This record gives sequence, C-alpha cells and structure tokens, in this order.
Amino acid sequence: MSEDGPVVALEMKQVGKRFPGTIAVDSVDFEVYAGEVHALVGENGAGKSTLMKMLAGSFNDYTGEILINGEKVDLHTPSMAMKHGVGMIYQELSLADPISIGENIVAGHLPRRGVFVDRAALAAEAKRLMSIVGLDLDPDLPIEEISQHEAQLVEIAKVLGTNPSILVMDEPTSALSRDEVERLFAIIGNLRKRGLAIVYISHHLPEVFRIADRVTVMRDGKKVASRDIASLTREEIVQMMVGRSVKEFYSRAERTIGEVRYRVKDLSRWGFFHHVDLEARVGEILGICGLSGAGRSELARVLVGLDPADEGTMELDGTVLSGSGMAYYLAKGIAYLTEDRKSEGLALRLSMEDNILSSIVPRLRRGLRYDKRLGRTTVRDLVRALSIYPTDPAVTLANLSGGNQQKVLLAKWLAGGPRVLILDEPTRGVDIGAKVIIHEAVEKLAGAGNTVILISSDLPELVGLADRVLIMRQGRFVREMSYEQCTEESLLLAANGEESA
Amino acid sequence: MATAEMKPIDVPDARYLRSSRFSRIVNVAGIYGIAVLFIIAGAVLQGLGVINNFMTTRNFLNIIDAVALLGIVAAGMAFVTYSGHYADLSVPTTMALTGIVTVELLHYGFVPAVLAGLAVGLLIGAVNAVVVGRFRANPIIWTLAMSYVTMGVIRLVWVNRQIYPDVQTDNLRTIALFDGIFRLRLFNVVSLPVLLMILIMLAGHFLMTRTVYGAQLKLTGSARRTATFSGVNAERVVGIAFLLAAFTAAVGGLIITSLSRVGAWYNGTGYEFRAVTAVVIGGVTLAGGRGTIIGVIGGAFVIGLMNNIMTLIGIGTFSQDMIRGAIFILVVGINAKSLRSLGRDDA
Repeated sequence: MSEDGPVVALEMKQVGKRFPGTIAVDSVDFEVYAGEVHALVGENGAGKSTLMKMLAGSFNDYTGEILINGEKVDLHTPSMAMKHGVGMIYQELSLADPISIGENIVAGHLPRRGVFVDRAALAAEAKRLMSIVGLDLDPDLPIEEISQHEAQLVEIAKVLGTNPSILVMDEPTSALSRDEVERLFAIIGNLRKRGLAIVYISHHLPEVFRIADRVTVMRDGKKVASRDIASLTREEIVQMMVGRSVKEFYSRAERTIGEVRYRVKDLSRWGFFHHVDLEARVGEILGICGLSGAGRSELARVLVGLDPADEGTMELDGTVLSGSGMAYYLAKGIAYLTEDRKSEGLALRLSMEDNILSSIVPRLRRGLRYDKRLGRTTVRDLVRALSIYPTDPAVTLANLSGGNQQKVLLAKWLAGGPRVLILDEPTRGVDIGAKVIIHEAVEKLAGAGNTVILISSDLPELVGLADRVLIMRQGRFVREMSYEQCTEESLLLAANGEESA
Repeated sequence: MATAEMKPIDVPDARYLRSSRFSRIVNVAGIYGIAVLFIIAGAVLQGLGVINNFMTTRNFLNIIDAVALLGIVAAGMAFVTYSGHYADLSVPTTMALTGIVTVELLHYGFVPAVLAGLAVGLLIGAVNAVVVGRFRANPIIWTLAMSYVTMGVIRLVWVNRQIYPDVQTDNLRTIALFDGIFRLRLFNVVSLPVLLMILIMLAGHFLMTRTVYGAQLKLTGSARRTATFSGVNAERVVGIAFLLAAFTAAVGGLIITSLSRVGAWYNGTGYEFRAVTAVVIGGVTLAGGRGTIIGVIGGAFVIGLMNNIMTLIGIGTFSQDMIRGAIFILVVGINAKSLRSLGRDDA
C-alpha cells in the first residue's frame, strides 16, 4: 500500500440499516483499500456484524450507497454480493459435512464436461486454491475427516474460488490454537500481497495490532473513527470502543472460603476425560483452564447430569448424587450456563421473562396451575441487578444485543438460586460493559456462600476472578494454580503444556 | 454500574419489541373477525341470489357441527405443531381405526367398545410419541409411514368391508346409543360434538397456557436444545403432544363413525390437511411455540364457513381442495416472510 495513492476497493457511503426497535447501523462511512488488512472493532451490538451482513447481501432494505472498485453496486442478495467480489468467512463454517473437500471448495462453479462434472479439473482447481492457503490435502477426503483448523482454511480456499476482491473475516481465530493462528496470519499476509482488501473483525486486540494496517472503531451503530493502526495504542482503541476509560477491571473483594461443597472423585467419561478429581468449596470461584478440545465442556455436561459418567462419584455437601438427568441436578441446586448462548442457552423467539423463568418452570406451580406471576419479582430484581436493557420483561429476546442476551442467560441460571453454578465461557463475545456486570454478579454469588466453577478461555477473566485454577489438558487435570500464581502467561503456558514440569 | 448500561437506541420504537397483550388479543380476534367476514360474505351472496339457504338455522347448525369435528381434531394437532413437529399425518387412519374397532366391538357393550376404540387410537399416538419424541424421527416421514402401516392393518383385517353397528350387535339399545349419541342436542341446539369441542378447547387452552407442561412445551417448541439444557424432559414433552393429537383424532373418529353409522377405512380422509390448515390459519406457526388453541378453533370456523359457502355456490370438491391448498400455502408463506423480515428469527 503506497502512501500517496491507495486504491479504494470498497466504499460504503452513509449506509444504514434499521431493525424494529433499533438502528443497527446509522449513517456509516467505511472505506477499505486494496492490499490492506482493515480491522473492524467495537463492542457487541456496535453494528459490526450488521455492517458486514449488508456487504454480504443479507438485506435488501439498507440505505446509503455501496461502491466496489469505484462502481456503485446493489448488494441485495448473497449472490449479488458474490458476483461483485465480496467473500465472507464466518465464525461458523459453512461447509457441507459428508461431501469431499474438493466439491466443497468448487461448489457453485463445478467444472463440467458435457453434462458431467469434470472430476480431474475439479481436483486440479481445488488443489490450486488450497495451495494459496498452504494446504496440501487430498481433495477427495470428506470434510468430516479434517480438523477444524484445516476446515477453516478450506473455507477460505472456497471463498477464494469466487475471485473476491474484498474478503471479510469474522473472528477467524476464535477456535484456533496459537500455532494455527500464526499460520493463518501468514496466509492473510499473503492474500494482502495479492491485493485483496481484507476486513478483519475481532474482539482480540493483540491480534488486531499484529495483523491490521488500519482500524475502524464502531460504537452504538455509528463509526467512531478510522485510523492507521500505528497511530494508536490499545488503550486508545478500547477507549473509543467503550466511550469511557477502562479503569481497574477487577477489583477483587475478599471472600471467605469454606467447606467442600462439590466433590468429584475419579470421574471419567471415556474418550473425553479420565480420572478427574475436583473439590469446589463454599464461597469459591474455581477456574478451569484449557484449550478447546481439552474436555472442559464434556466435564461440565457430566457435572450437571446432562451426560452419564462412565466411572467415578460426585458428592454435594457430602451426599452422593445418585439420580440422573439434568432435572435432578437442577433440583439439587446445580446449574450450568452453557457455552453456546444461541442454540443451547436461550430461546430467542420467546420473551425475556419466559427465558429467565425457563430454568425454574416446575417451581412456579400453584395447584395445577403454572403461574408466571410467582416469578415476577425474581425477573424484575434480576433485570435490575444485571442492568439488562431493555427492561421490559415482555420484550422478545432476539431484539436484545448479544451482551444483554448473555446477561439474560446468566439471569436465567441465577433465578433458581444455584448452590453450585458452572459457567462455560460466560462472557464469550460480549462487550466490556456486559462483561463487568457479569463478573460482578459472579463474585457476588460466590460471596454469598455459593460455589462457582468457571470454565473460560478468557485468560484475564480467569486470572481476575478465580481463587484457584485447574489446568486441563487432553482430558486430565495437569496442574493447579493458586490466585497468586495465576498470570495470563503462566496459564497459557500451562494449558499449552509448555511449563517446566 | 450505570456507566456499563447499553445505550438505548431509538427509544420510540421500543413498543414494537414486545408482543403486547393487546396485539395477542388482536391476533386471536383476527381469525374470528375473518369468520365474521365469511358470514357477511355468505349473507351478501345470498342477497345477490348467488346462493340459497345460507342464512338459515339449519345451515348454521350444519356448519357448527362440521366445525366441531374439525375443531376437535385440530386442537390436538395444534399441540404437535406447537411442539415444533409440524403435523401428525397419521390422524386420518387413527380416526378410521378408532371407529372400526369401536363398531367391531359393539357387541361387548357401548362403553367397553368406545374405550377400546380410544385405546387403539392412543396406542398409535404412543408409538408416535416414542419414535418421534424419543428417537427423534422426522415427524412428517414417520407419521406418514405410520398412517400407511395403520391403513395396511385395516385393509388386512377388514379387507374392504365397511362394518355397520346393526350388524355387529343385536342389542338395539347399544345400536341406538352409538348411532344417536353425537346427534343429541342440548336445548335442541348445541350438539354433543359442539359441547366436546368447547370442552377440549378450554382444556387445551388451559393446558397450553396455564400449566407447567404448557410452559415446557412452549420452550421445547421454540428451542428444543435450549429446553433440554434447561432441565426439561423434551422427549416426554413432545411425546405427550403426539398422544394428545392421537386422543383428539380418536374422539373425532368416534364422532365421524357414529354420524355416518359405518366403520370404514375412508373415515377421516383429508382430516390431516384440514386440521393443519386450521392450526396454521388459526395462528400456530409451523416454527413452533406460537399461537393458541382458541385461535385454532377460530381457524376451524373459517374453514367450515368457507367449505359451506363453496359448496352452496356449487364449487366442486377438487376445486375446493385446490382453494384450501392455495390458502394454506399463502398463510404459511406470509408467516415465514413476516418472521424473516424481523431479521433475527432463529426459525
């Protein structure tokens, strides 16, 4: 990219998109040059995803103008966007499982010989595209047989097959290990050299500083600024994102830690985790740290009765948990906030009230009747305590921002007054404001004499909140660290198995 | 933590965020409003001389009796749709088999025969409940298969025979009771099927909106995985929905068999589609978790009136099927579009 005359690949002029009740994107100007990586950052609900969906052709009713390579275009459908050279790589991969790598990559423009698919040409084309992203796989391999990291690169290869001039990547590193992130960055660097305009959405600021040339910050549906990354510090970006200075993030309150509440002995679920021992105490926040695939969520599912254990025992306050099924554990006061907010945690089509009460439905019984009014105070108190906006309990959940949805999810599990609350990535992908509120609520819960088990990939969160952290690797606890021993670096090294044993 | 609060964006529109009690009433009232429009249309057509005998007591009694039968079947079907499982296509054969078994066993007496008929209907429902609820078979494919199996059983055991109450038993009182019971009219107006429909509607409405089961069904229908992760036994919840559909189909089978005075394989033909149409135009969306039983009964009224007027005009059966099909497609299309235009529906 030369300083005097960057080529503008994408120009969005005064674009806007309104949903019922919100203006998701409000008169935004956005420019991306050919041959640059342009980071797009902002808290959840800031409008990044909506802006990019607009570019992907998801809406036919956006306002404003979009110019690609200087030419005004209408992006009203995904195929129109593709035709104009917009390539999208989403967090969730869009590959079809049982089909081969080659067919996935070349889907949409299958080479033909007469009426038949030209298999040799298909394989050659797939190989060519894969080589751009540094993959050397057999194009006939089915997608389900490759790793998630490889699948992501296949996805990129697939998008490159449509000859995009603009490539949008939405949180591409969220499921990757450190090595894989490095490889991805090298590939992004290559694509930049080929003259692609790359829009890179991320919550992870260190990554943004590593890879981006420029950055655009959004807040509340508006653009705050677009700047060269070199002219900014991390603090300045955070300040623009939140519109206020982030003071000391974790002000830790003293908690008294008591007896063992939840004791797990020799617990195994074959193939996922083996011979796990764990003691979580009254008033304690016990962290569990590990890379994805270490068996953390699988362990949580057994701890709350969603899956049966293959061996081992679980005791609550010294009594063996003998029942099965989640309802039994829930009745004992053991609750589980799942990692996947949208498909496992919430019912987005229902109201906020229905969602918050969904974990305590059997309790809201008066004779034969189910009476929501019995939960009305609970809902009102939780909405207030967690500053959920909007405050109307009847609002449909889909209309809330991600951060507020996550607060509703926490409220749902707080509603039952859990004695043991297992949190699985409680703040993944939420804005800083919501994160602070969620952390405070978790500390308060522990402070009131309950037990919290915190599973997280967010290292500052573990370092700041947990009294103790157990490091999980390949289905086993390999190490325990006290609050004093925990730093981001020490946790990361331990989780990756790089600490001196 | 006032600083951390999400900034409200564009507050004036906030009222669109909630589905208010008022809008819910309008939605339910809407379908009855359409029913009233049909009555007005019928009256106008009669005034213009296009049809005769629409505005007569006799015709209205006919309409309401037909609505009762459809409304009963649709009320159970609504639970399946509400649970997010679209429809129970085994309803017609459940109706037929219930009727046939009841007539076949009439020589054991009225009550045992009716109970046996209902039990057979519930048995079909129980199989659906286990296979769709527990093993998560595709509801459409499975209940379609179930209806073929049931039809096969009927054809195998009874061949093409139609069986008549007066052939199955010599007890004249039992015959009279079976043939006459659903023709009874309270105050010479309200027939037993209408009474049953009202009872089933009220009980169904209570079950869906005012019980723990109803709350769990709503959650399951809206987001099944989330329901499971909230401690709801979704298998059981869905299973009960299929049992309810089978129960109302069985009751419908008794009525249709009694009114036609014959147990036959063709009793109930077409009721799966008519019931789903009533369910969907009554406001229960195919996406699950939305709508009310009272709306569904309104849907049955609209269909009953429409059928009546079309018949009086002299529109043939096939054309009527076509029109009903077109209306179904229209309503489902409008629903899908309005959900999608919200932009955030996970349906």
